[in-house]
Amino acid sequence: MRFFFLFFFIFFLTDAFSSEIYKRENDITKNLRCLVCEGQSVYESNSDFAIDIKKFVNKELKKNKSNEEIYSFLKLKYGEEILFNPEISLKNIFLWFGPISFFIIGIYILYRKFNVEK
Amino acid sequence: MFLKKGFKIVVMLFFFGVALALFYTSLFIKKDFEPSVMIGKRIPNLVSSSLLSGQDLNLKDMINNEIFVVNIFASWCAPCQIEHPYLMKLKENNVKIIGVNYKDNDKNAKNFLKKNKNPYNGVLKDKNGELSIFLGAYGVPETFVINKNFIIIDKYIGPINDEFVNKVLNLK
Repeated sequence: MRFFFLFFFIFFLTDAFSSEIYKRENDITKNLRCLVCEGQSVYESNSDFAIDIKKFVNKELKKNKSNEEIYSFLKLKYGEEILFNPEISLKNIFLWFGPISFFIIGIYILYRKFNVEK
Repeated sequence: MFLKKGFKIVVMLFFFGVALALFYTSLFIKKDFEPSVMIGKRIPNLVSSSLLSGQDLNLKDMINNEIFVVNIFASWCAPCQIEHPYLMKLKENNVKIIGVNYKDNDKNAKNFLKKNKNPYNGVLKDKNGELSIFLGAYGVPETFVINKNFIIIDKYIGPINDEFVNKVLNLK
């Protein structure tokens, strides 16, 4: 009987651990760009590149690596391009603030136009 | 008033020109030597079993203070057949080449090298594609040029050609 309970305890513990890893793997790969596909994430793609990255992420998670460690390793190898959410830096500042700047300028122009007309 | 209107047109034309230039460069300019974040970085010490002997191989033990090339290939990859004569050319000119056999069947890979001749000084097996990730590779074939200090100085995506061979030979 004891053996039976021990078996189920280990079984559920392992299952909980692997489903946690599976969830984290999905979260990470959804934020990774498949660099050989058109607009797909690693999670969505079945290309060789995406399959390799998925396996790699899974292996690293089993080694108890944090999400940040995995992201920074892949960033080191493939550059910021691999991340769907790039960090704010001088190189991509236009990407982050360009649209909002154009929006503000547009609102200002409309405001001026209507005020002048009045 | 006329000046103001003219200024607006100039500004609009300027932005239109910038957008057009951006679209043109990203759509039509072919990049042979792809920029890679790995260029200028030290090559990781790749360790795996040898395709030919089965023993453990260490990249850095195979090279001794010289410029060398790392080539990712597979027997199932058609462009790898195309680039093979150029790898043989490098070998004939005493350039050391380390092969990384990407997700391949051992028997097929050995037959590939038997049929086309072996240009490699050592072939590391990359069964699950992990070595390729360490190299920051996207697929097969892919070729890296490494200098005496184990720094990656160039990377070529796709089958190499005469231009690549000459570039490597000029570096020697």
